[in-house]
Amino acid sequence: METVKSRNNLVVSYLTVGGVIIIAMMVFGVLMLLTQGGVIDLAPAAFYQFLTIHGTGMVGAAALAAAGVMAYFLSQYVQLSQKVMRVNLALFLTGVVMVIIGVFSFKYASAWTFLYPLPQLSANAWGTIGALLYLFGMLILGAGFLLFYLDSGRAIMKKYGSLAKGLGWDVIAGKKSEDDAPPKAVIASTMVTIVNVTALTAGSAVLIMNVINVINPAFTVDPLLAKNLTYAFGHIFANSIIYMAVIAVYEILPRYANRPWKANRVFLIAWTMSTVFTLLIYTHHLLMDSVMPTWTLILGQALSYANGLPVLVVTAYGALMVVYKSGIKWDMASSLLYLSMFGWVVGVVPAIVDATIVVNHVMHNTKWVPGHFHMYMALGACTMFFGFMYYLAKEDSDIKENAMNRIAFVAFALAIVSLSGSFLVSGALSTPRRWATHIPEWMGPAVFGAVAGVFAMLAVTVFVIHFIRYINKRRHNVHLEKTSHDEKPA
Amino acid sequence: MLVQTIAWITSLFFMILVVAVFAVVAWKSRERKDYAPIKKKWYKARTFYGAALIALMLVLTIYTLRELPYNQPVYGAGNEPTVVDVQAVQFGWNISENEFKVGEPVEFHVTSKDVNHGFGIYDEEMNMIAQTQAMPDYTNKVFITFDEPGTYEILCLEYCGLAHHLMTADITVTE
Ligand code: HEM
Ligand SMILES: [Cu+2]
Repeated sequence: METVKSRNNLVVSYLTVGGVIIIAMMVFGVLMLLTQGGVIDLAPAAFYQFLTIHGTGMVGAAALAAAGVMAYFLSQYVQLSQKVMRVNLALFLTGVVMVIIGVFSFKYASAWTFLYPLPQLSANAWGTIGALLYLFGMLILGAGFLLFYLDSGRAIMKKYGSLAKGLGWDVIAGKKSEDDAPPKAVIASTMVTIVNVTALTAGSAVLIMNVINVINPAFTVDPLLAKNLTYAFGHIFANSIIYMAVIAVYEILPRYANRPWKANRVFLIAWTMSTVFTLLIYTHHLLMDSVMPTWTLILGQALSYANGLPVLVVTAYGALMVVYKSGIKWDMASSLLYLSMFGWVVGVVPAIVDATIVVNHVMHNTKWVPGHFHMYMALGACTMFFGFMYYLAKEDSDIKENAMNRIAFVAFALAIVSLSGSFLVSGALSTPRRWATHIPEWMGPAVFGAVAGVFAMLAVTVFVIHFIRYINKRRHNVHLEKTSHDEKPA
Repeated sequence: MLVQTIAWITSLFFMILVVAVFAVVAWKSRERKDYAPIKKKWYKARTFYGAALIALMLVLTIYTLRELPYNQPVYGAGNEPTVVDVQAVQFGWNISENEFKVGEPVEFHVTSKDVNHGFGIYDEEMNMIAQTQAMPDYTNKVFITFDEPGTYEILCLEYCGLAHHLMTADITVTE
């Protein structure tokens, strides 16, 4: 019991740190939109610093919180190392502090994709130290996550024999019956382990190349190779967040609906497809690099389409079946988890549209792109772990969900839909992304998005406060248990 | 019709469909029925739905891959393209030629002197009509024939540093 408690302490820390950072980053998101909308007058240098911190912070924080969800459910089946989880958290915080100092004290602003050779070549704008703080901060952060996934891989292999068995390949091959398929939490964790070890390896490689180039500009790298590595890292790592967080949907929604949702062969095949596609489709970020071999780009489009199938045909469809005519009890946890499936599916639509080469030709790097990934990230991935936070609070304490929470739920859903919608409208108007200033024709959607952003931020603040209140109650409970325990012998 | 408009309408259509499906299922969740028959019925439906989805994707894939912006158009005899060298630098554009005629085939050969930039061509209504990346050491190409006279604008479409949003240039197309 002691270990379960302390393990959950770590999960709770991951979620709290993630939640608090997300609120802070939303402030920068709103400030960016107000600047683009011409409402406030922020210096472009500050805008690009905010852009850099918002992108880095959001991806990092969401990944940490989602890793908490994965650890919580995966540890019900395999033995994860608590030490590694603690080290990951410590490295994460160290990395974050370095990134913050690099961005705000040294004005570093390469955006979170740090495309070579920008970190070095704008050195007169932000100096070598700023670049090194950022790049090393990212490396340290990445090293923490890498340890985390190496440990999850080790633990899965120890229990199930191999990662292939973690994905249920022996069941797919018919060597084992569907009843012996690994639990969904294990399948998803195996997929994420595979793709993220790859992503983090590519990421460290390209970060180190940039570091050397910053220290000694005579050392150069092929820019196209660097871009491939950067997106192999960035695309996969950002995508892995939802594949970790969705475990909460798999585990919690069926309990609420009181219906079974077991992994069958189709489910296993879907997750193997997700594994392969997630590794390969990062090339859809290079559709406008005509020097890339054309077949890689055609594959980028075709596999991006195909990558929609597992979620559209298996995960979302499964969730809908579990809920349909189930008499499910709707509370904060189940509502958020259901909303998250909606967020994921609805975000797939503009993503697939943009992965079409002829469309990408006029929409790549417009605000269409943040349009679809704010749906997928904010309404999909984040909503999954917000739902998990409410679930945990309910499981683990007697905290009540007051009306404020329900208002926040509605506000959050409407706000993120409006925010993402405003980005999509901007994209359809050809507004470029990552522009500190907008021409008047582009300002309307930005202002609208800023207002929506304020509501989203307030709503998430309510979610996180609820969670922190639960932590206090929970501490209290632990304390009470202890005293009553101590009193017994007397 | 603009590609952007088609993309927007297509997306809107499918996104509204998604909203409808989730709303109906949420609405129907208030009833409570046995799971076994639901499972049987909807697993069967899934086979059709999955097959239809794959078919739709295949059709769209083939349809949209017929003509790619990477391919050099076939130029008729005596209709040689005008090759324009474009070099991006922090924070501006060196364009070897910036006046063109309607109907004249143009090839922009785009590269960069320093970091990655993006070469986006906007029409007078500020709709993007074509783009490619400007990458150091590499040359990406845009094949285009302007149909309308007017002043077109080049915007930088890859974040390249603190004055990224100031990286614009004009080109003129005459009758
Ligand atoms: C109140 C909510 C939010 C607001 C107002 C907001 C706003 C913004 C804005 C204005 C941008 C820059 C758009 C541009 O390129 O011009 C942006 C980019 C981005 N946002 Fe958000 N955002 C919010 C929530 C989130 C969440 C929850 C996540 C992920 C968990 C997220 C992840 C990102 C990422 C990864 C980028 C890309 C940064 C880059 O281009 O380098 N955002 N957001
Ligand atoms: Cu630029």
